Parts: sequence; structure tokens; C-alpha cells
Amino acid sequence: MATPSATQPIVHLSNVDKDYQLGAVTVTALRQVSLEIAPGEFTVIAGPSGSGKTTLLNLIGCVDVATRGEVVVAGRDTGKLSEGDLTRLRLNALGFIFQSFNLVGVLDAFQNVEFPLLLQKQLNAVQRKERVMDLLQRVGIAEYAHHRPGELSGGQRQRVAIARALVTRPRIVLADEPTANLDSVTGNQILDLMQELNREGTTFLFSTHDPKVVSRAGRVIRLVDGRIQAEESVEQFQSSHA
Amino acid sequence: MFTLLQIAARNLARNRKRTLLLGGAISVVTVLLVLLTALFNGTQASMLRNATTLSTGHVNVAGFYKITSGTAAPVVTEYKKLREIVEKETPEIQSLVVRGRGFGKLVSDVSSQVAVVSGIDIQQEAGFKNILEIVKGDSSRLVEPHSILIFEQTADRLELKIGDNVTISSQTFRGAANSIDCKVVAIAKPLGMFSSFFAYVPLDTLRELYSLDPSTAGGIQLYLKDWEKADQVATKLRTSLAKAGYRVMDHTEKPYWQKFDIVKREDWTGQKIDVTTWMDEDPFMKWTLFGFRALIVIVFMVLLAIIIIGVMNTLWMAIRERTREVGALRAIGMQRHTVLAMFVTEGALLAIISSTVGVVLGVAAAYGLNAAHLKMIKGFQMVLMSETVTLIVSPPTVLVSLLVIASVTTLGSILPAWRAARLQPVEAMHSSN
Repeated sequence: MATPSATQPIVHLSNVDKDYQLGAVTVTALRQVSLEIAPGEFTVIAGPSGSGKTTLLNLIGCVDVATRGEVVVAGRDTGKLSEGDLTRLRLNALGFIFQSFNLVGVLDAFQNVEFPLLLQKQLNAVQRKERVMDLLQRVGIAEYAHHRPGELSGGQRQRVAIARALVTRPRIVLADEPTANLDSVTGNQILDLMQELNREGTTFLFSTHDPKVVSRAGRVIRLVDGRIQAEESVEQFQSSHA
Repeated sequence: MFTLLQIAARNLARNRKRTLLLGGAISVVTVLLVLLTALFNGTQASMLRNATTLSTGHVNVAGFYKITSGTAAPVVTEYKKLREIVEKETPEIQSLVVRGRGFGKLVSDVSSQVAVVSGIDIQQEAGFKNILEIVKGDSSRLVEPHSILIFEQTADRLELKIGDNVTISSQTFRGAANSIDCKVVAIAKPLGMFSSFFAYVPLDTLRELYSLDPSTAGGIQLYLKDWEKADQVATKLRTSLAKAGYRVMDHTEKPYWQKFDIVKREDWTGQKIDVTTWMDEDPFMKWTLFGFRALIVIVFMVLLAIIIIGVMNTLWMAIRERTREVGALRAIGMQRHTVLAMFVTEGALLAIISSTVGVVLGVAAAYGLNAAHLKMIKGFQMVLMSETVTLIVSPPTVLVSLLVIASVTTLGSILPAWRAARLQPVEAMHSSN
């Protein structure tokens, strides 16, 4: 895989449409979306329910493909990749944080975080252990390494999910409403953690419709009815929603 | 990958009730298969042992002698020379006996019946004495000229007891009527439904009945170290005997007593040798075993189909419950083949553990049933030639059972696993399950 330079955008979308077929009816979820995400950004896709936030994240996350237009992630045109190549791109270049955590219930925190490394087959057991424990330390749950998800609180589970998303050192971490299932205190702690990791160099792109979450972003992409209505700073977003 | 095995094991443990139910069903099927095959092995061994004692060896070197082209006598001449060649050419032999073949009417004071009358040398027939359970008299007394051993059914029908005389009436091979009186020296317990048609006299007594020379015999019965090589040995002997100058009959899958009419119609005289196996001489046993084996296969197939459907349903449920997990794993970079492997591992693990438990229980049950000496019901006793249920656990058969059940059950998990692997990550992640 060609490695783009640090100044090149990690994500580049050009005139992207996404249609869904619901029986005989074609529903357009995204229309003419163009955007770029540069390394080190902490970007929020904001918008009301049904505005196309999750669809946009799915296209950038290579779990779905655009109907029209070009989606380039980490230098690869996703429309031209096979299913296997898309999977490899997700494994090596992307990290995912889900609203409902989506951890493997029968594996403990350590094993959940280690799992993507096992799929990559690049590190030996000692190297994997070192990297996983380092990440668990950084997200503050090293002492729960051998607890299964069922034995952890929502906040702790999301910390495990963040560690899992970061363990392969992805180019960008995609988070779909990462605080939606958390209380406000825990949600804030998770956002603190993500901001801290962002300051250390990790690029984040996440979706939300919670103005409190948006206030943490460096850049806000506002989606309405599948179109980018505006790209604005947090201040602009807050003043337009005041 | 060890982690896939761990995921499979823990998922099975997490759904304990479902795992126990399906695993139990697989174990029960394995137990049944082990018991059925052990029963088949036991029955086969018992039938083979009994039938090869009564009327046939594993391989028989016999034949017909035709004085004129329209006659046929089940006799071989110069049997000692024939025996020497057979012994030299057949290292597979464990033992052999020389028998006389006859057919006549047994007449007592009150009744009569037809019977296959075999001439034996009781001193050579160690197996014969071991197999037969003598209820009255002594089989060793068959060394006495004009003695006879009969089965209980014959003794009851003809109202004979030890020391009574019975007349054997027959026709010599030249066509003259002849009869001899024999004294009942032993009465044996029945060996299956056909034993009532058998009676045994000393070989010389049978020769006397048919006015035969001492150099003649009915045939040589060979008992092999491995009875499963009977066909192979028979084929080899046909070639060897033909090379030694004997005229050898073409192989026909019929007992010798069904060949009289065929042989009589053929235009030759003198001696021809007929090499047969126990399957040729005892078609009833051959078809009984075939039927039994077919029944086991059918029962096994039905049980296996039920298990496969059970495995598939269980995995469908597991996959439905874990659709979001599959979606998330696909999203973080798990390839389709790894998803397939993850669910097949679960099916395989369940299959291997359950069938292993089934084999252990099945083998234990087989030994338990043998120790209990269960009586077989009367009808089966007659057909299967055994009074008690005998199970023989054969390690290769058990291993094959284990492999077949484990493999087929694992195969049953492939379709649902493949469907799971085909799930689109975006749809799976947003599934409501």
C-alpha cells in the first residue's frame, strides 16, 4: 500500500452520492459530498438524525461504497478495491469506535484490544503484549485488562474500544456517536481522552448531534438532508445554533 | 488461531443450555452408532463362528464327481493329495478340517425328517466341540462308528434320546437306495434356525452310507487367520488348483446343494473342484448381515440428518444473536474466511467434544451390556444364532464412527458460517439483533 505523505489528506471525498434502494424507491442518503480530512484533525460531523452522518462515516470507514463519486482513504480509491482489499485497508489504516462499543463479549479487555493485532499477524506475542498494555495504561484501564466486557462499566468499555481502535496505529479513528450511550460525566471523560490522544497526533473523525460534543471539535462539518450545509469552526457552529 | 478456538469454547460455555442440548444429542447419536456397530460386529462374529462350524469353512475346497454326465456327487477323490496342495498354497490358513457331504432322511420309531448329514472326524474338530453346547451325551463319542449327533429340535421331533437308534436313509451316488442305523451319542443346543436340519456322523459312517472309497471326502473346510480375506484366498486357490492340473468350476455365488441340477446338466464326467467361500455356502447369513448393515446405515443416516439440522439451527441462532459482533469484527478488519473459520471452529469443537464423550459412553455401555449377559429374544436367537447379546467394540470402527460424526457435524456448520461470512459489515453492524 502506498503511504501518503503527512501533508496529504487522509480522507478525500469528491462529489459523492449514496443511494439506497428501498423496494422500488431510491433514497439518496448523500448528495454531492466533497470534503478532505487532513492528518491531526479532530473533526465532527454534526447534523440531525437522518442527515447522513452515519452513511458518510460508513463510506469513509470502507464498510460501504459510494454510488457515485470518489472516496479516497489513506491514498486508496475505495471504489476500485476488492472486498478483501477493503478489509485490509480497514484493518491497517482505520480505527473504529462504535456507539454501543461492540466488543467481543467472550474475550477480556486485553484480548479485545489485542484482536486486531492478531488479524494483522505482524507482531509477536511479546510485542503485542507490550503495545496492548501500553494502550490500556493510556486509556486508564490497565487494572481491568483481564475483565470481560460484561464486568466493565459503559465508560470502561468505551475506553477498551478506544484502545482497540488505536492498537494498529491507524491513520484515522472513526467514531460513530461515541458518547451516545454514556452518562454526561463519563462522556466528557471519553472526550477528554480522545482530545488528549488527538493532541498526541491521532486523527479523529466522529459523528454526533450533541452540541456539547460538537463544542470539543476543531472543525465541524454540518450535514443536512445528505448535503454538507456548512464547514465551520466551533465558534461559527455555536453562534449559528445559539 | 488459538483466539478463534477460545472464542468458540467461550461462546459454547456461555450458551450452556443450548450447548448441552445439542452436544447431548450428538453424544447420544455417537453412543447409538458405537452400540449398533458393536452389535453388528458381535452378531457377525457369532453368526460366522456358528455357521462356519455347522456347514462351511471360511473357504471350502470341494467339488463334484460325475460318474455319468447326468449324475452329480458332492465328492472329491484323492482328498489327501488335494489337501497337500491346498496347505502348501495357502499360508493364510489357521486350521482346516475334512468333511463329508450328504443328504438323507432320518427315521425314528415315531417320525422322520430330512437332514443335511455331514461326516466329520471329531478328533480334528476342536472348533466344533468348542462351539456346540452339548445338552445330553458326549460329542467325543462321535469317534464310534455308526454314532450320530443331532440338535434338540430334531431330538424332540423324532422323540430321540441318548442311546436310541435312528436310521439314515439315502441314495448312493450310483443311484441305489441305502440306509444305516446310527446311535444317538450327543444332543446339542440349537445354533440358529437352520441347525435342526443338520446331523453329524463319523466320516467313515457317511462313506459307508454312500458306498464311497476311504480316499474320498465331501470337501476341505479352511479356517483363515483373517476371515475377511476369504474371497482373495478363494480366487488364489482356483488359480493354483488349475495350475496343479485340476478342473476347477467357475465361481458361482450359490451353496453346493443348489448346484446339483446345474452340474447334472453339464456335459462332463469325472472330477471338478469347486472353491467357495462362506458367503456362497450360507447366503442366508450373507443377506442377514447385509440387511443388518443396511439397517444400521439407514438409522445412522437419519440420526445424522437430525444432528446436522440441529447444528445448523443452533449456529443460525448463534449468528443471529451475534450479527452486530460479526459486523464489528468485519469493520475492524476480519476477513470473510476468518469469520467462516470462527463459526466452523465452534461447530467443530462441539462436534469433537460431544462425539468423543459419546464414544467413551458407548464403549462403556457396550462392555456393560456384555457383562450383563443379556438374553436375546427367541426370534432373534434363531436368526442371529446366538442366545445372548454380544457386542464387539472394534477400535477402527469406533475411530471411524468418531471421525464420521465429528466431520459430518462440522460440515453442517459450514453453511451457516458461510452465510455469516457473507454478511455485509454495514448491514451487520446496524442489525437489530
